[in-house]
Amino acid sequence: MSAVGGALGRTARAFRDVGREVRIDWSPLAWLVVAALVVAALVPIVLPSSVGTDGLADTGYLALAAVGLGFAVGIGGIPSLAQGAFVGVGAITAAHAVDAGTPALAAALLGAALAAVGGLVVGLGLARLRPVYVVAATWLATWLFSVALGAFPSLSGGARGLVVAPESILGLTPTPTMHYELALALVALAVLGHHMLARSSFGLSLRAAAQRPAGAAALGVPIARVRLIAFAGAAAVGGLAGGLSVQLAAVADPQAYDSWLSFKLLVAVLVGGAATTLGPVAGVLALGGLSLAADLLANLTGADQARFGTLLSALLLLVVLTIGSDGIVPALDRLYPRSRAGGVQPLPGVVSQDGAEVDASGLAKRFGGVVALRSFDLTLRGGRVAALIGPNGSGKTTALRLVAGTLGPDAGRVSLNGDDVTEASTADRARRGLVRTLQNDAVFPELTALENAVVGASLRRRHGGAFRALIASPKARDEARLTRARAMAALETVGLEAQADRLAGTLSGAEQRLLMIASALATEPSALLVDEPSAGAGPIELERLAALLGRLRERGLAVLVVEHNLRLVRAIADEVVVLDAGLVLATGTPDDVARNEGVRAAYLGRRQL
Amino acid sequence: MQVTLQVVVTGLAAGGVYGLVAIGFSLAFRLTGTIYLAFGDLIGLGVFTTLLVAAGTGPVTQTNVPVGRFVLGAVLGVLVCVVVAAGGYLLVVEPFLARGSTLGWAGGTLALAFGIHALLDSVFPRPAYVFPDPIPFRRVGESGFVTVAGATVQVRALYVAAVALFLALVVAWIVDRTRVGRGLQAIAADPEGARVVGVPATWLVPLAFGLAGGVAALAAITAAPSAPVSVETGTLLGVKGLAAALVVRFGSPLLAFAAGAALGLVEAAIANVHVAGAQLGPAYSTVIPLALVLLVLALWPPREALEAIE
Repeated sequence: MSAVGGALGRTARAFRDVGREVRIDWSPLAWLVVAALVVAALVPIVLPSSVGTDGLADTGYLALAAVGLGFAVGIGGIPSLAQGAFVGVGAITAAHAVDAGTPALAAALLGAALAAVGGLVVGLGLARLRPVYVVAATWLATWLFSVALGAFPSLSGGARGLVVAPESILGLTPTPTMHYELALALVALAVLGHHMLARSSFGLSLRAAAQRPAGAAALGVPIARVRLIAFAGAAAVGGLAGGLSVQLAAVADPQAYDSWLSFKLLVAVLVGGAATTLGPVAGVLALGGLSLAADLLANLTGADQARFGTLLSALLLLVVLTIGSDGIVPALDRLYPRSRAGGVQPLPGVVSQDGAEVDASGLAKRFGGVVALRSFDLTLRGGRVAALIGPNGSGKTTALRLVAGTLGPDAGRVSLNGDDVTEASTADRARRGLVRTLQNDAVFPELTALENAVVGASLRRRHGGAFRALIASPKARDEARLTRARAMAALETVGLEAQADRLAGTLSGAEQRLLMIASALATEPSALLVDEPSAGAGPIELERLAALLGRLRERGLAVLVVEHNLRLVRAIADEVVVLDAGLVLATGTPDDVARNEGVRAAYLGRRQL
Repeated sequence: MQVTLQVVVTGLAAGGVYGLVAIGFSLAFRLTGTIYLAFGDLIGLGVFTTLLVAAGTGPVTQTNVPVGRFVLGAVLGVLVCVVVAAGGYLLVVEPFLARGSTLGWAGGTLALAFGIHALLDSVFPRPAYVFPDPIPFRRVGESGFVTVAGATVQVRALYVAAVALFLALVVAWIVDRTRVGRGLQAIAADPEGARVVGVPATWLVPLAFGLAGGVAALAAITAAPSAPVSVETGTLLGVKGLAAALVVRFGSPLLAFAAGAALGLVEAAIANVHVAGAQLGPAYSTVIPLALVLLVLALWPPREALEAIE
């Protein structure tokens, strides 16, 4: 009894928390969305004639599929041309299931499940591919599906399609009005889910991977996995839309799921605004308006409506793309600029690291006939800063990549706290506490500074996966708060807390480098590899950088800096490793190295350390 | 044996056209890193322009068109294809290259494709059209068929395969041996560097797009009288050409042509050859190769297809 009472109390508290958060985040736009939803729900009731209600319901299901695609395209950065095929998988599955006596809703869910499986299969193949190959592969997949439907009449019902007997849904008669209200509710839920996921650390990781894959990989984001989840999720939503709309139409017409449907959904997403939550819905509404215009034109000229519709949609997309617009919703957004939600409190003492021991021995790498690194040894200890210097082309960055795991060595081994990690992936090393920053171009320009750091901090999340973020479970929300606090603390460490809400792309070059270090720190590393932090830094920034590296040493991190600026090296390094032509020329304190005859001859003869 | 030779010739005739489309996809990809999704419908535009000039929009039989009018139609068809292919590049590909926007060129080329498709559909609404044949192949042999080593072979198929091969050799010669071709190779290897050393990329790239479109359209027009054509014919040619180009990783013209020819052969084989006593039939002839291409890409993606994470 008391256990039940306790659970109820916890639930009530969780709901109060949610209520408070919703009140804080509530904006005029949210009121607008709610009002639009109420008006939309009343449409078939207020309008007396049921004429056009089935068209409205169909548009609703189209919007549902578009919201799914919008997430894959806009958040996941996956240029998918296959969403129509997944709608088709859901529709055909549901049609067969209803025929076999499955209840209507179960049949639609079965369609969604099969579409998700299809999304997983296709997604497995393309999660690691470059966008241009994703375009090719998804286009061919769409055609494969529609050709297969044409080739196998037993599957698709041939030219007549599969007849679907109307079944009651949740005990309600499946009138067009009922379908319309159901579609509206599902679109609202999908938009809400999109909103939750896009802001979650899962969504931020996806966006980071879309903007700068190399930077995301360096922070340990499992790129292929998050993309696969996004793609399959989008396919499932498309499948659900197909499974329901086929019951509205009462027939599964195989020609309705060809490449045109995929294109139409993409047009909706791009015209409405791929990166925004409401964009796909706005795009579907725009296409709906366009088809009314096409009707009008067709009546005037006596030509076929469908062709005008196609032509106008193609033209609309061309216009939107050519004027360089990012869609209707972003354009409206700019009319009413909103301030971003600030007020994240850093979590003092959260970013505290224990130093690691990194040992590399005998690392070698050749590219074709060129030996980049002959033999490289390195030892990093907690609380010490090592610097790797050497002339251009001496193999510094290659050495760094081998230690960080973005490149596999031809020979040698790397160990972290005594464990052999030579074969471990970058992401795996990052999880174990060995993280590197990239030389350039690795901040995520369209995320804020805080969100950049959140991508790093997500590496330590345990409950914030896609599903928990979607349903906003208490654990996921607690962890989201913690992750943001951690990210804020990392920003504070590098002195960027005042820039937390600025887009990373608008920061100065030196600030972007600091931000990269902050994102790496947010992963709570025990060993940090920093590539050329001083590039482009002025005297003041150099001082800031030296102070920062000093702070990291005090915290007990093991730090390796690849540097050109010998003044900085002298100021902060406890140990210097000099590389020349792929070999370690000297190792020692900055003073030792400066006195070393061989180093002077080979590298420092021209300069004074 | 008889069946085999017949299948080979039929397959090569279809495959030759796929091969020229594949050359177009490869050239476009190597020059700009994009996939010109409008290629198929562009070719359809060329074929139907020819039909419009040669025979109007009504139903035609294969014999009632004067050769002069057909030649005029073919020239116009190829010309339209060259102009629209090059113009399409300038309109829907080039603006998005600088912005690095995949969605931009993908959406743009698709919009071009569906725009052309809708336009053709409204002028040629019938599900299939008989394409006039300027050359009286029917009078050769036994109503167009000759018997070679005991196998019956369609003369027209031989002719189409030969024309396609010839066109592919011409494109390969242009790319490998001429000044224009060397300029294109320089752009493919390093667009910025090519510009710096004075390769006129501003007009060479649209020229290459136009050339690729024109050559593919010429092959498609040559092949068109062999079977009834529909607006969908061009679109499907585009899909198969892309599949072939993908298999050889958008390689050299001859490689892309070989891949297209091989695809045609495989399709013909699947449609006609008995496997373990059972005939697969035409239903499988497009499905199986497309599925295989996707499977190969998924399981053994070429290195350059993988996203760089360093």
